[in-house]
Amino acid sequence: MNSLRFFLDSRFGLVAGGIGALALVSTILARPQTAAPVAAPLNGGAERIGEAVCIACHAPQNKQFSHTQHAGVFRLNPKNEKEKLSCEACHGPGSNHVKEPANRGSLIGFTKEWGTPVAQQTAMCLACHEGGERMFWPGSPHASNQLGCSDCHNPMAKISATGLLKKPTINETCYTCHQQQRAEFAKRSHMPVNEGKLSCVDCHNPHGSTSKALLKNDSVNETCYNCHAEKRGPFLWEHAPVRENCLNCHAAHGSNHDKLLTVARPFSCQQCHDNTNHQSSLYNAGQLVGGGAAPSTRIIGRSCQNCHSQIHGSNHPAGARFQR
Amino acid sequence: MMKTHFLPPVSGLVLCAAVALAARAAASPFATSASGVGTTLGNKETASATALQSADPEWPDAKHTPTGQMFKLPFNVPKLEEIKKTASGWDYSGQIELGTIGADAGERNAQYRMYQDLDEGSYVNHFNLLLQKKDGAFVNVTGGAAGRRDQYYGLNFGRTNSWGVKVFFSETPHVFTDTFKSLWSGIGTGNLVLLPGLTPGGTATTANDTAAVTAAARGATPSTLGLTRKRGGVRLDLTLSSALKAYASYALEKRQGARPFAAVWGNNGGTAPMEIAEPIDYDTQDIAAGVIYSSGLHAFNFRWNTSLFKNKIDTLTLQEPFRIAPQGFTTTPAAGAFTQGRMDLTPSNQAHNARAEYTRKLPDFYKGFVTAVVSAGSMRQDDNLIPSTTVSGLTLPNVTILPGGDWSTLSSLSRTSAKGVIDTRLADLTVSLNPTPELNVKAKARYFETDNNSDPYYAVNPNAVYVDADAATAGNQTRGIAYGGFTGVWGRPLNDGTGSGGVLFGTNPNPTGSIEIANHIYSSKQYRFGPTADYQLTKTSNLTGSAERDVMQRTNRERARTWDDRYKLGYVNRGLFSSTLRASYEFAQRRGSRYVTAYYEDTFSAAFIPMPTTAGTNVTTWAVRNNAGLRNYELSDRNQHTAHLRLDTMVRPNLDAGISVQMRESRYPDAAFGLGKSSQDSANLDLNYQPSPKLNVYGFYSYQQGRNRQASIQQANNVTIGAVTALGVVTPENASIIGPTPGGPFYSLGNQWSAKHTDRNHVLGAGVKQEWGKATLAIDYSYSLGRTRITYDYGIGGAINAANAVFAGDRMPDLAADISYLDASLRFPLTPRLALRLVYRNQWESIRDWHYNRVDTTPVITANVNNPPTLLMLDSGPQDYRVNWFGVMFQIKL
Repeated sequence: MNSLRFFLDSRFGLVAGGIGALALVSTILARPQTAAPVAAPLNGGAERIGEAVCIACHAPQNKQFSHTQHAGVFRLNPKNEKEKLSCEACHGPGSNHVKEPANRGSLIGFTKEWGTPVAQQTAMCLACHEGGERMFWPGSPHASNQLGCSDCHNPMAKISATGLLKKPTINETCYTCHQQQRAEFAKRSHMPVNEGKLSCVDCHNPHGSTSKALLKNDSVNETCYNCHAEKRGPFLWEHAPVRENCLNCHAAHGSNHDKLLTVARPFSCQQCHDNTNHQSSLYNAGQLVGGGAAPSTRIIGRSCQNCHSQIHGSNHPAGARFQR
Repeated sequence: MMKTHFLPPVSGLVLCAAVALAARAAASPFATSASGVGTTLGNKETASATALQSADPEWPDAKHTPTGQMFKLPFNVPKLEEIKKTASGWDYSGQIELGTIGADAGERNAQYRMYQDLDEGSYVNHFNLLLQKKDGAFVNVTGGAAGRRDQYYGLNFGRTNSWGVKVFFSETPHVFTDTFKSLWSGIGTGNLVLLPGLTPGGTATTANDTAAVTAAARGATPSTLGLTRKRGGVRLDLTLSSALKAYASYALEKRQGARPFAAVWGNNGGTAPMEIAEPIDYDTQDIAAGVIYSSGLHAFNFRWNTSLFKNKIDTLTLQEPFRIAPQGFTTTPAAGAFTQGRMDLTPSNQAHNARAEYTRKLPDFYKGFVTAVVSAGSMRQDDNLIPSTTVSGLTLPNVTILPGGDWSTLSSLSRTSAKGVIDTRLADLTVSLNPTPELNVKAKARYFETDNNSDPYYAVNPNAVYVDADAATAGNQTRGIAYGGFTGVWGRPLNDGTGSGGVLFGTNPNPTGSIEIANHIYSSKQYRFGPTADYQLTKTSNLTGSAERDVMQRTNRERARTWDDRYKLGYVNRGLFSSTLRASYEFAQRRGSRYVTAYYEDTFSAAFIPMPTTAGTNVTTWAVRNNAGLRNYELSDRNQHTAHLRLDTMVRPNLDAGISVQMRESRYPDAAFGLGKSSQDSANLDLNYQPSPKLNVYGFYSYQQGRNRQASIQQANNVTIGAVTALGVVTPENASIIGPTPGGPFYSLGNQWSAKHTDRNHVLGAGVKQEWGKATLAIDYSYSLGRTRITYDYGIGGAINAANAVFAGDRMPDLAADISYLDASLRFPLTPRLALRLVYRNQWESIRDWHYNRVDTTPVITANVNNPPTLLMLDSGPQDYRVNWFGVMFQIKL
């Protein structure tokens, strides 16, 4: 019950109270949406009008839409009646919209300006896109943060090569909210994301996952092994924190330090190693080349890995200390 | 002439000549968001070309995403009736961009070329060709950077909504250094041979060896160490019905080149460590197949993945240029016999995983659903082991090698292959219910197991015995020590036999408790469970809460069980004026079972050599493994606070802003030593202004700060039976308690030291895209500044003596990185189908990393030229660069 006591006593209470207050104040402050009352699900009472009627008023949208994957499915090779509906497959039946174009309750829209509730937008998308990669969307971090599909996707225009994203690339799309990660990819050592060779979705499934941080694999390490299969082993001599989680030593996105290390060597190793012999020594500026004192191999260059070069594991029968 | 250790790139020029190009964004070649790697095709230059595309002037005003971020205006695309058609009914469109780039584009600096491959001269930047038919048939060819090591190609064809085939090939360079001063020939192979003038095993005079190596290093032409990933694959997708889809894929990735590596010699290491080059020649095959079903109440996914990794260079043999004394060995081998060493490189391995996912809606039961996942995998490797040394005839005092038991033979090992197996299992269950229209509750439970089923490996020579055994007979002898089912001489010759301290009783008859005699087998089980609730406060605001317990059970770790309790609150308001506000806070508390510092005694010789009891005997090797006050941070108690705040606001209809703050603080309350505290905070601002389709301006700024605090104790005096210490008189019974305890003789509190790290980063970016008439200008700029300061506290005369404290001071020099990137493009249409794009790139980087201070002028670091060096530093580390290059590119439309 210690954790429960801490839960009640600690700053958690303060912050929880703060969020509660924030919720109260902002809810009171929140003005009604600029949109008129939203449509009931499926725009009750409306009837289908066919895409030709839509295009008559929405030619610019149709020009862009014609280049999308959606248009290809709906117009060239529909598999079912719904796909044949084209515009109305996503926006709902359009007769009310024809009668009252400004009535935002007359159609399902996918912009903030239009104001259709996000849950209703999402339900419309999932009507076709449920399952598969989106199996874990309900309850996922993005869903819990009330993101709509069109917070990342623009189904009306082919801006990205695939995926109908709102930005030309996956990474640019993610960066619109994940600026922290954008800053990390700009650091000295980083994954080749800004170089166009890796995307956020190579590791993460933005639609939901059973793993923390929306990882596509069952664990951090299994995710890393996708590109770093040589680290997979299992090795004859294993290094326990390496086997458990690559992120014990490495930053996933970028770092001020070589090899995406979270802390500069040898200090990173010494966060765990205060063992006998040299691990417990304070290596310091004096031991750099030209530092004044006798230089130490344990702080220069690759530091600990000048000797323990097989730090991820060794298959050598004499490799218990990761030197061979 | 600078040498580069890469394999030659595949030329793509021939392929490019036949097709047309579009300056389009990277294509998605292969993987999906659910599985696999390979979701993008492109390189650094793709984005530069994409930025120049005009916005659609007919598109209505910019709209915003549900959160309130402005949608990017669509590119100006042709109307359907304007798209060209072939006589056979194919619509087709395409573009190619090619031209020439010059000035500094071919800079060789490793930081500049880390993940890209530019050179002066002709350059095919990007091309794209799309063909479509009315029946949905399509062919899409794309590619770019033809002939360079960052080239990429994709071919997609099929019928929309029926089937599709994706074929792709992509290369990614990874340059580690361009200043490697090699003393060897054979870089990139498994055999490093010293250059002429250097003597394998050294000469009789180490000073001469040092001089020769110094001269060779200084005279060596700096070379580049890097590798290239070449990955290609094919994927088939089938839409079998509206509800059922299937796919299968195969990818092969080749990694070839070399990277910096290191080898060390001597007893316990520490003698003449030297930088070498590890050869890289890897093949990885990824095979996947699956089915996806979704219809009405049910959804089901099944996926199979196999990954086959092959290292085609199993070992690295290298000649070494110094006279390494064969410590502890007797007259054999002779001085100078240690001419070479051998590393066992990463073993080939394979992994398999099968995964099934199922969701069942429960519309009549509180509008709920159930999701269940099971996954099982296995990682295996059974590489052939190599002997401990390549030098035959090593003999040790007190040890008799039996026939066939030479340390250079496989008979000196307890087994001849690795036999490594780790199995993983996952089970995950979620139940979701909506008791009221406003309330959703979920219960989640997850189990994940990493089960290491490898047989323990024992470091024992079964064909050796201790003195006075019958040396004429192979096999177990009565004078061998029996343990774990083996009898023989325990331990292993260190570092190719140049250090014998790894063999029990090898150097002298005194026993010791710290010889590694078996490997560690780590396994873990993770249980995670808890409820979440999501309550809709208003039509535009939600409050979420969750509680979760995350239990980890580990075998052969300092702590058998830890549990994290996490409590999280989140709030979203989408109707706050023209803004969306998101806030969340999580508190996590980790606690666990008893922390046992010396948990691994059965893998040391202490397992069968009892601690001596005689007064005056040094028993440190039994008594001390690690500081008993230290806690490994992944196992220690932890209180962690994480807060996120994000506001997206539509300042004006054509101007939106995003402000976000993230804070995380972790404290480790039971860690008197080790990592005591860490934090990571960031604040970000984004602005995006799009007053018209012809003008777009953006800017962003991020600040990040990370802090860590750690503490340690430098070892002092040995633990000796009968010694009087601050914690009492050392006895055989209490030596293992007094020994590792802070304040005892070994971890004297006077030797404490601590260090603080502070990372600070500023990242600034801005850009503009402006169209004047038919001309388009795009400028993108970013600047990243990183600083890391490490300070330390210590007692003079404790962790550092007075003489060295003068040089140590109280901190390391700052680690500093400044990275600037400017890309400017100006595009003029010359004809309806031809446009000219002028490109200017200014890019520079400056890194100050104290690890590499002055090593470029001091490759052989030594305090005494008559001894093997402290370190042979052949890589000068990151170097500054500044490049300006220009490009003249032509964009040709079909």
